[in-house]
Formats: sequence, structure tokens, C-alpha cells
Amino acid sequence: MRFTIYQDSLIGGRASNQDRMGYCFTRDSLLMLVADGMGGHMRGEVAAHLSLQVAGASFQEEAKPKLADPPAFLDRALRRAHREILRYQDMHGLPESPRTTIVACLVQDGRAWWGHAGDSRLYLLRGGRLVTRTRDHSKVQSLIDSGLIEERDSGSHPERNKVLNCLGSPFEPTIELGGDVALEPGDTLMLCSDGVWSAFHEEELVEQLSAESILSGVPRLVQRAVGQTGAMADNATALAMTWEADDATGVGLSSQDVPDGAITTTIAVGLIDETAEGDAITEDEIERTIREIREAISRTGGG
Amino acid sequence: MATQTNAPLPHGHELGEYRIVRKISSGGFSIVYLAEDSAGQKFAIKEYLPSSLVKRREGQLVPEIPAASELTFRNGLRCFFEEGRALARIFHPNVVRVVNFFRANETVYMVMAFERGRSLQEIVLRHRGRQPGKEVLPERHVLRVFNLVMNGLREVHANRLLHLDLKPANIYLRLDGTPLLLDFGAARRALDAEPLKLFPMYTPGFAAPELYRRTQQLGPWTDIYGIGASMFGCMAGQPPQPADQRELDDKVPQTIDAMADRYSRPLLDLIAWCLKLDALERPQSVFTLQRALRRIHLTPEAAQKPSTAARWFDTLASRAGTRRRDGEGVTQPG
Repeated sequence: MRFTIYQDSLIGGRASNQDRMGYCFTRDSLLMLVADGMGGHMRGEVAAHLSLQVAGASFQEEAKPKLADPPAFLDRALRRAHREILRYQDMHGLPESPRTTIVACLVQDGRAWWGHAGDSRLYLLRGGRLVTRTRDHSKVQSLIDSGLIEERDSGSHPERNKVLNCLGSPFEPTIELGGDVALEPGDTLMLCSDGVWSAFHEEELVEQLSAESILSGVPRLVQRAVGQTGAMADNATALAMTWEADDATGVGLSSQDVPDGAITTTIAVGLIDETAEGDAITEDEIERTIREIREAISRTGGG
Repeated sequence: MATQTNAPLPHGHELGEYRIVRKISSGGFSIVYLAEDSAGQKFAIKEYLPSSLVKRREGQLVPEIPAASELTFRNGLRCFFEEGRALARIFHPNVVRVVNFFRANETVYMVMAFERGRSLQEIVLRHRGRQPGKEVLPERHVLRVFNLVMNGLREVHANRLLHLDLKPANIYLRLDGTPLLLDFGAARRALDAEPLKLFPMYTPGFAAPELYRRTQQLGPWTDIYGIGASMFGCMAGQPPQPADQRELDDKVPQTIDAMADRYSRPLLDLIAWCLKLDALERPQSVFTLQRALRRIHLTPEAAQKPSTAARWFDTLASRAGTRRRDGEGVTQPG
């Protein structure tokens, strides 16, 4: 596989960034993820973070170096993430479960599959045009579907933030699967949180993303999403991949560089508590640790 | 990675009391440089710079840390500190030496003694398939190199530390053929009352089953599996079957037996012992393992082939010797 990939996230005008993004790949399979931890519930960022870790760990376990059944994997991995969130709630005795929307995309054998829950979206672009995108599990989308409002009015609808499906709620999530699309060289898949897509009209979004390489296009898009909505801006996260197929273009990175049996990942493995608030390493701790290490070095005769 | 690669510090950059000569390698977590002090002495300096969390463009010194990554970046320092702390306490000829540790450019740097040589992985890759049907690394070298590796590992364990990522890429051979244990990025305090909170990433093939399943206690036996897998790698020219696959259909015993035409039975038995899936069936300490290794005597035929051995190291030494550029052929994984 040869592809270009870029991800970026901005906090916007919020106190914390509850969006999480990441990708991992073996020689023959690529998994991309964006999750948007839900505000208004406790610890949305924990739900988003856990979902990425669980899906990433499932990928590491099963992609050797290919997945036997990509859509089944997506369904299973996201449901497993849902159960882990509920287990986290249980373990920590939280009165309410942390929740997150999620979109996941898997590329293997030159084909793409995706799954989502909530209003984090996937866009597939080809030759500057939108081929397809996911439909949100939201109040607004259900109003559009039943013909009660027009698509273009959705951005200003008072209930535009109402999500009807997510991971971590007491109800079993619906994982809507899509794809089995054969990718063509130059195709771009973009996963993003609502902080990105809600800042643009759809044509505008497609145009911007098609105008330049995703290496510069993604950071610009995220920057503009935050810039346009100003001080109230939501967290904005986008992860995009441009497919270069297997040809010898020399553009992007080649999964052939991944050694047999190994995995490349941007998703940190480890327990959630490592990144929980209040656990941050302090300036004092950094200084003290460096002092201790230097003392240990001089004691053992180095330096 | 071709994307989001951080720019290394420029040639000639003054970093504390050192001057950067060039980048040696970069990994997901750090960049390693060759550097010199004012007296011209050479060092390998490892810079904490996780590529998924920070960006440093050409011409910048201080990396940009997006607010969203700040917390993870700072907490990642703990792993880097753990490696520094682990190595600072150890002074042993077969363990890489940390000589300094400091803050600069809003990140941290670990300075290590710089030595010339090659990783066992490079050596294995160069020798693999050269003479089909022949051993990759001759038995006498396997015994000699790993006896010294075990000396280093005993010192590591004596300091209540586990390496947890032993593999040929992390064992480095100096030009005189003595080994050096590198890359303690996965090292953790062992035998502490508290169970491990953070499990390291592992390398399939070289990692013990308890590193996959994360249920059993990690201990010296976990590193012993890595030693056995590394010896296997140097003999077979490829890593053993990953532990999780072995649990379903174990092909390791037969691959070990298939090497009986090239290696002695006692050596093959020793490796099979280290690679037992059940941690309790493996040697429980490096001391036990080393004692068994030292009991293996070369068969008269193997001992009478000094030319093979001499040639092997001569090749290594002459290659490095003919290329006089500083640090040629040196790897220090990032």
C-alpha cells in the first residue's frame, strides 16, 4: 500500500479537547479513527480515548498482516470499545457513562470500509467531487430524512447538536457500516469531528480538501474551522488519507516499509489513567527527576 | 514515516556543552544524534520528540506542541525518564552508558557513550542466506556473544530492572566483537510491590507470551524469553514464531530441531528451554541460564574451525575499518 496521511486537531474555544484521532497500519491493512467525546456527559474525552485504544488494540491483535473480514472487524471493534467504556464507568463508580461518537475506516486490498456511530463523519472524494459521506445519527438528520427541514438549514437548527447514537450510552449502539469501495489513485478519505464539518457548507469543504495536498490541506481546514466559528469554536479534528495505490509514484509512505509482523501506530497503548486529569507531570517533578538522574550518573562514575 | 517527520537539529547546532554532528536515526519516540564535546569526544544524544505529538519544522529548534497533545507529551516524559533512571544506575561494559541528562529546547536529552560497531540484527541480515544451509552465526560466536550479553543482563536485573524489548536490533556489537545492550525504552521497574501500570509495546517474535496477554507477572523470565528468541534469530536468520500464534499451533520445537545439522544439541535444548511458553518452565534467573550456557562445550569439529570464526570477525572489522567516516555503520535505535 502506498498512501499519504495527515491528522490534526485543535481545541477551539473550549476548555479541553475531547476529540481523539489516530491511525495504525501493518503492511497490508490500515485503520483510521476519529472520536468526539461528548460534552454534557462526564469525561467525554475518556470515552473517546478508550475507544481509540480498544479499536487500536483489536487491530493489533487481528491484522496479521490482514484482517479476515474488514466490516465484521469494524463492527466488533467498535462494540468492544462500547463495552470497555461501560466497564470503565463501572470500575470508577461513575453515576453516568462517558460517551463518544466515532468514525472508523479500514483500507485493505485497495478497498475501503467504514463504520460510524453519531455525527463524526467520513467523506470520500474523487477528482474534486464528493463520492459519498456518512449520514449522521442525529436529530437534525432524522428531520431531513423525514422531509421536515432542508439540508442547508441544518447548520442553524436549534437541535443541531443532538446526537441519537454513540458509544458508551446505556443502549447498545448502532454501528452503521458502509463501503466496500474500490479505491482509485488520488482518492481522499477524510474522517472528521462535527467541529470541522459544521463550519463549512459541503461544497466548500469538498473544494478546500481537493485544492491541495492533504499534508497542507488538513491543517488549513482545521485552522479555518476554528477560525470561522471564533471564540465559541468546538474542538476540530480531521484525519485524511490520499490513496496512492501500489504504483511507483514515490509519493507518500509505503506500508512495505513496515517489517513483517510489525505495526505502526499513532495510538498510545496503555491504561486510561495515565492521561487522566490531575495526573500530569509537574514542573517540579521534571526538575527533581533530572536532578536524581544526574546524581545517579555521577555516583556510578559517569559524566 | 514520510509524513509528520520532525526536522532534526541542524548540523553544528550547539546543544549544551555538545555540538551536533549529524542525525544517526529517528524513531516514533525520539531522534538520536552523533555529537561531540569541545574536546572532540563523541557521544550519542537521544532527544525526546514523539512524532505523533509534536511538530518541528525545518529551521525550528523548539517543537510546536498542540494544546491537545501537551498532557500526553509531558506524561510521555515519564517513560523517557524511566529509561534514563534505569541506565544511570548501571555501569557495566555490556550495557550502554548514560553520561548526561539535561533539558533544552523545551524537551529532554539523554547523552550516551558513543561506540562504533553494528547491531546483531544488521549482522544477521548480512550473513543470512550467504551460504545456503550453513549456520547464520557460528555456534562459537553465539556462545561467546550471549555469555557477555547475559553478564550485562545480570547487572540490569540486579538493579531490579527489566529490559522487556530484547532483540537482535537492541544488541550492538562493538568492533572488537563485545556486545552492548541498547535501547532501554521499554525498561520497567521490576519486582516492585505495585503491578505495572503501563505495558510497553512489544516486538512480535521476540516477546514472551506474558507481554501479549498482560495477565501473567513479568519477571526475569520475560527477558530470558527475549534472550532465547534473540539467540534463535542469530541462528535461524529470522525471529521465532510469535508467542500468540505458538499458543494455537507451536512450530518452534520443530524449527529448533531442524537446526540440528548446524548446531549442537545442548545449545538447541538451551534455546528451547528459554522459549517455553509457560514462564515457570523457563530458567528463572539469568544466573541459572548462564550457568547452563557455560556448560556447553564446543564439539571438536566446531572448535577446530578457527578460520571461520576469525574470518567472520575479520570481515566485520575490515568493513568498518575501510570506511573511515565517523560513525559509519552505527545504529542506535531511536
